Amino acid sequence: MLLRCLAIQGSWNYEILGGNGIGFCVEPALRALPGGPGGEAYRKALARQCVYFNAHPYLASLAVGALARAELDQNPPERIVRFRTALCGPLGSLGDRLVWAAWLPACSLVALLLFGMGWSALGVAGAFLVLYNTGHLALRAWGLAAGWLHGMRLASALSARWLQQGPQYIGRGAALVAGIALPFASHRAIGGGPILDPVPLAVAALTPCLAMLLVRLHGKVEGWQLLFGLLALLVLYSTVLH
Amino acid sequence: MSLLLNRIDDRLIHGQVVVGWGQPLALQFIVLVDNDVASSDWEQELYRMGVPPGMQVYFHTVAEMPVRLGAYVSDPRAGLLLVGHVETMQQLVAENPEITTVNLGGVHHAEGRTQRLRYVFLTPSEETALRAIQARGVEVSAQDVPSARPIPLDELLSARQTA
Amino acid sequence: MLLFVLDFLPFVLLGAVLGLDVVSFPQAMISRPIVAATLAGAFAGAPAAGLVVGVALECVALETLPFGASRYPEWGSASVVGGVIGTRGAADALLPDPGAWVIGVMAAIATAWLGGWTMVQHRRLIAYWARPRLNSLASGSMRTVVALQVFGMTSDLVRGGVLTLVALLVSWPITTWAIDAWRLGAVETRGALIIGAAAVGASAVWKVFHGFSVTRRLFVVGLAVGTMLVTFRG
Repeated sequence: MLLRCLAIQGSWNYEILGGNGIGFCVEPALRALPGGPGGEAYRKALARQCVYFNAHPYLASLAVGALARAELDQNPPERIVRFRTALCGPLGSLGDRLVWAAWLPACSLVALLLFGMGWSALGVAGAFLVLYNTGHLALRAWGLAAGWLHGMRLASALSARWLQQGPQYIGRGAALVAGIALPFASHRAIGGGPILDPVPLAVAALTPCLAMLLVRLHGKVEGWQLLFGLLALLVLYSTVLH
Repeated sequence: MSLLLNRIDDRLIHGQVVVGWGQPLALQFIVLVDNDVASSDWEQELYRMGVPPGMQVYFHTVAEMPVRLGAYVSDPRAGLLLVGHVETMQQLVAENPEITTVNLGGVHHAEGRTQRLRYVFLTPSEETALRAIQARGVEVSAQDVPSARPIPLDELLSARQTA
Repeated sequence: MLLFVLDFLPFVLLGAVLGLDVVSFPQAMISRPIVAATLAGAFAGAPAAGLVVGVALECVALETLPFGASRYPEWGSASVVGGVIGTRGAADALLPDPGAWVIGVMAAIATAWLGGWTMVQHRRLIAYWARPRLNSLASGSMRTVVALQVFGMTSDLVRGGVLTLVALLVSWPITTWAIDAWRLGAVETRGALIIGAAAVGASAVWKVFHGFSVTRRLFVVGLAVGTMLVTFRG
């Protein structure tokens, strides 16, 4: 089931979202229902698990464990359906906060710091993958186990302090790492050299100004759009006007 | 500050609400109006687990809102009003003139619904309800996350599988 | 032309696999630019330059995190394109050729945007394919469940591969022209590019973490410490 969880979003679409993925992941557990695979209980349970569902893909393993337990405990179907529906939002919200808004950027920033400190290509990419996936796989495995353990009393698992406070602590650490990493990474990426040369000085002076402008323009202009425009002007200047 | 967004989203509290909107708007509370959830302790407990520490969630039935809404509107903190169904928002708008904008954030596929956007599927009765909300002078637009373009209701209802 | 396309085959396969990683399987973040562009650079014989391209793209990608079910740029295939294009002419060099780097970053941003659009179409394709099979799903057919997963992942693999190929075919001749026509000095070009990329990264960090208490101060303290250390080291 843990391996199947890696493909939980394999058929994500705009109609049932990740519903089929949940059914795919829960299916091995349903074989233990009375009547076995293909039996009436199995087919009804699988059908229940394949309808609309949306949550964070890593924390969805909590839902997989809890729903497998709920089905094997043969809870009333309408209660399972309601429980399944209620899981979507909290698991999506918690996962987004913990992984997309904290763990992933934190690992990226650590990798940028390692690059700035002179690590090799293999070292930087390898360290990022090892660090990120240690958290990623641990979260999926914990989710599956905790979901199975708590079943429909899943709220007690979600109230774990590390899960609730984790994004805040990771965010603080990542902000500090980001501050240190950006000057280091920028310096190496422009080729190093004396910091008081015109180009490193320009980078040190102009980067914060542009960053503040982007923060002010939040919601109006995306940074990648602005960067694309600036680079287009750079190409024009360097190839035609220069 | 008061209520910065009045959102219809059938997923209720989830990542787009808490992180996507919550961070740029610096949200401090969510008012969740849903008759089923308001009467279910275990569902409320689950939804509370979905918000960061420091963000409050208040659960209400539609009937409670005329009395409660004024306090939320004048609250100095930044807040978000959240409902799961178009009909719920229609009832709220009818009884609470304080609501002047409605954000359609996510109404997903179900039997009888037609796709309007990748995150908006509507039945004919839901479309009528949205038109009725607009007819009261309320500005209705669809927008899943802050970085997306808000799509006015008229454009939304003339669209088919766009954006 | 066929030989030209065949030359791209390793990159197309890499773009397909990394495009798959973004959402469908296994989401291990081998699709992040700092890994994907490095891998593409390694395939092209310039891993160090690929890493530098990946660093610039990683700063930009920090801004577009995949919250909820919203539409977001697809950085997996895009970073392969950026890594291949950005390391052209770099050979064993530690830094990319300036013209190639700029075009590589632009190609990656454009491909990421286009990739986001292809992901939306791919999700619609799965829904379209699933629609006539919903009755079978509602009857609890395990075969339909598995078939839907396999169809989704296979078509995503194809999506990533086709996207990578098209982006490479379009951006390759532009890079050839840019490398020849580039007049601005290497140091100045790198400086200009890094100002833009680092500014996007810094603003993204500010936007993502500003909601947590004391993080703004920690970020500013970190910046001061980082700048001092770089100055001292330099």
